[in-house]
Amino acid sequence: MSALIEARNIHRKFGKGDLITHVLKGIDVTIEEGEFVAIMGKSGAGKSTLMYQLSVLDTPTEGELLVNDTDVLTLNEREATDFRLQTLGYVFQDYALVPDLSAQENVMMPLLMRGDDWQESKDTANRMLDNVGLEGKYPNLPGELSGGEQQRVAVARALAGQPKIIFADEPTANLDSISGTQIIDLLTCLHREEGQTIVMVTHEPEYAEPCDRIIYLEDGQIVQK
Amino acid sequence: MRSLRIGLLLGIRQIQRASYWTTGLIIFVMTLTFLNLIAVSGILVGLIQGAENAVRESAQGDVIISARDDEDFILETPSLMRTIATYPEVTAYSVRYTGAATMEANYTERRDLSGERDTASVSVTGIDPIAEDHMTQLSELVVDGEYLDPKEEGYILIGVYFLEEYAENFGDFLDTVSNVGPGDQVRLDIGDISKEFIVKGIVESKVDEVNFTTFIPEREFRRLFSRLDRNADQIVIRTETPEQNADVVAAMEANGLTTFAKIVTFEDNLPKFLIDIKNTFNVLGTFIGSIGLVVASITIFIIIFINAVSRRRHIGILKGIGIHREAIEIAYVAQAAFYAVTGAALGTLLTYGWFVPYFDENPIQFPFSDGILAADPEGTFWRFVTLFIVTIIAGFVPAWMIVRQNTLNSILGRK
Repeated sequence: MSALIEARNIHRKFGKGDLITHVLKGIDVTIEEGEFVAIMGKSGAGKSTLMYQLSVLDTPTEGELLVNDTDVLTLNEREATDFRLQTLGYVFQDYALVPDLSAQENVMMPLLMRGDDWQESKDTANRMLDNVGLEGKYPNLPGELSGGEQQRVAVARALAGQPKIIFADEPTANLDSISGTQIIDLLTCLHREEGQTIVMVTHEPEYAEPCDRIIYLEDGQIVQK
Repeated sequence: MRSLRIGLLLGIRQIQRASYWTTGLIIFVMTLTFLNLIAVSGILVGLIQGAENAVRESAQGDVIISARDDEDFILETPSLMRTIATYPEVTAYSVRYTGAATMEANYTERRDLSGERDTASVSVTGIDPIAEDHMTQLSELVVDGEYLDPKEEGYILIGVYFLEEYAENFGDFLDTVSNVGPGDQVRLDIGDISKEFIVKGIVESKVDEVNFTTFIPEREFRRLFSRLDRNADQIVIRTETPEQNADVVAAMEANGLTTFAKIVTFEDNLPKFLIDIKNTFNVLGTFIGSIGLVVASITIFIIIFINAVSRRRHIGILKGIGIHREAIEIAYVAQAAFYAVTGAALGTLLTYGWFVPYFDENPIQFPFSDGILAADPEGTFWRFVTLFIVTIIAGFVPAWMIVRQNTLNSILGRK
C-alpha cells in the first residue's frame, strides 16, 4: 500500500487579531490507498475541519499536505477544482443534490464536467444508480426520493468519476437507523469489493466499526489513531 | 465547451422547475420593457412619420417635378406628361398650376362701398379634378359641400384656413373671409382680371399645404392666369412603392427630363428640419424607453441575485464536486437570456402582429398628424440586442458575485 494522503503539522485557525480560534493544532496523518478511515470526536473537536483540509475544500493555515502525490497547497482555485473533480468524491451530510436535476442528471454532473459525452455519462450514471439499488429512480427529482435514497444518489455521484478517495462527512446524520446502516453497508461493500479508499467523519461508534482505522480528535489534536 | 454544456443543462432545468407564475411574471416584465423601448420612440417618431405620410398622400406624392431654378415653369409639360405615363412604376400623377390671387366674399351684400372689403390673399391651384383625386384622394378631404365636377365650370374648393369659422383658433394670424360655405359666391382678383366662382366644397386636411390652397379646374386657371402654353408649376407622381422612387428619378434623368424640370424624390424633398426633428424624437424616445430598460435590468438583477443567494449552498457544493465557476455562471446567464429572448419575442409579436396594424388602422389623432407607431425592423432588432445585452449583464453580475465566494463558506452557509 502507498500513502494517498500525507498531512504534516496541519494547523487551521479562523478569525483575526484577538478573536482567532485555533481549530486544528498540528495534525499529522497518513492515509494509505485502500483504507477505510473514520474520523471521530466530540462536537467541536475539529473532525469536519480536518476532513475539509484533507479533501481540498479548505486550505490549512499552516502545514504540508500531499494528496495522491500532489502538493495541493500550491494549487490555485481552478486547479483545486479540477483536482477535486478528477481525484476526489464527496458525500455530504445532507445529500447536497441539485434539486432541479433528476437523480440521473445529478450523477451525470461530474462526468459531463470531465468531458464524457452525454450518452456515455448517462450510461455510467444509470450503472452507478443500479449499483446503489436505485434502479428505476433515474428520472426522480431529489424531492421525490427518501432521505436514504437521496444519500445513495450522492454516493453514486461520488463514485461515478472513479475517484481515488471518497470523503463522507457524517453521511448518516440525517438518516434513520435503517437507512444509515444501509449507507454504511454500501460504503463498506465498496471498500471491501472495490478497494475504495474512504475517509468518513462520524460520531456514531457503531458506524465506525467496519473501518480499518479510527482517528480520534480532541480539541484539534489527534489523541488516538 | 464542457462548462457551456453543464451551464445550459443547469439553466434549462432551473427554468423548467421554476414556478410558472414567477416565470410568467418575469417574461411579462420583459415584454413590457421591450414594448416600452419600441412604443415610446415609435409613437414620437410616428407622430412625424404620420405627418410625413399625410404630406406624401395628400400633397406631394412620391416624386415631385417642379420648375428648374432658372425657369418659372416646367418646360414642355405636355411632352413630359406623355413620357411620365410610359413608366410602369408610375400609378398616378397630377399636373398643377399655381398662382396667387385675392379672394373676396360677401361683396353682394356689402352696402357701404367705402367700408372694408371681406378679402383674403389666397393661393390658387389649377388641377384636373379626376387626376388630382386619383393622385391624392382630394375628394375625401371635402368636409362640407362636394368635390369639383370636371364637366362643370365656375366652381371652387376652398382650404379651411381661408375661412374664419375654421381658422378661428389661429386668431388674427390668418387672412380669412367670413361666413362662406358651399353655394356662396366668391370672387378671385388677379391684377385687373376678376372672376366669380361658386363655392363647391370646403377641404380640410392634416396637411397645411392643402388647407392653405383653393382649387379650381386647370382650364379655368390657365384662362384666368393667362397660362396658355400649358407649362405647369408642379407635377406630382405616385409610384407603386416608395422604394421605386429613386429608380424612377434615375430613369427620368437618364431620359433627359431634367433638361425641362427639376425632379426629386419625396425623401430628398423633405426639409432638413423635419429629418432633424425625427432623429431628435428617436433619440428622445430611446432615452425615455431606456429608463424602462434600467428598471428591467434591476428587476433581472434582483431575481437572479435572490435565486443565486437562495442556492448559495448548492453553488458551493457544485464547485466542491468539481463543477467550474463558469458553468454555474452560464446557468444564470442562460436564465436571463431566456427571459430576455422570450420577452422580446412576445413584444415583437405584439408590435408587428397587433400594435402596428392597429395604429395604422386607428391612428392617434394629433392636431397636425395622424400618429402611427413607427417601428422599423432594423430599429427593433437593435433594441432587442440592447435589451439582450443589458439582461445578460444583469444576470451575470449577481451570479458572478455569489459564485466567486469561498466554496467551503458557501457549503457551510458561512459569511
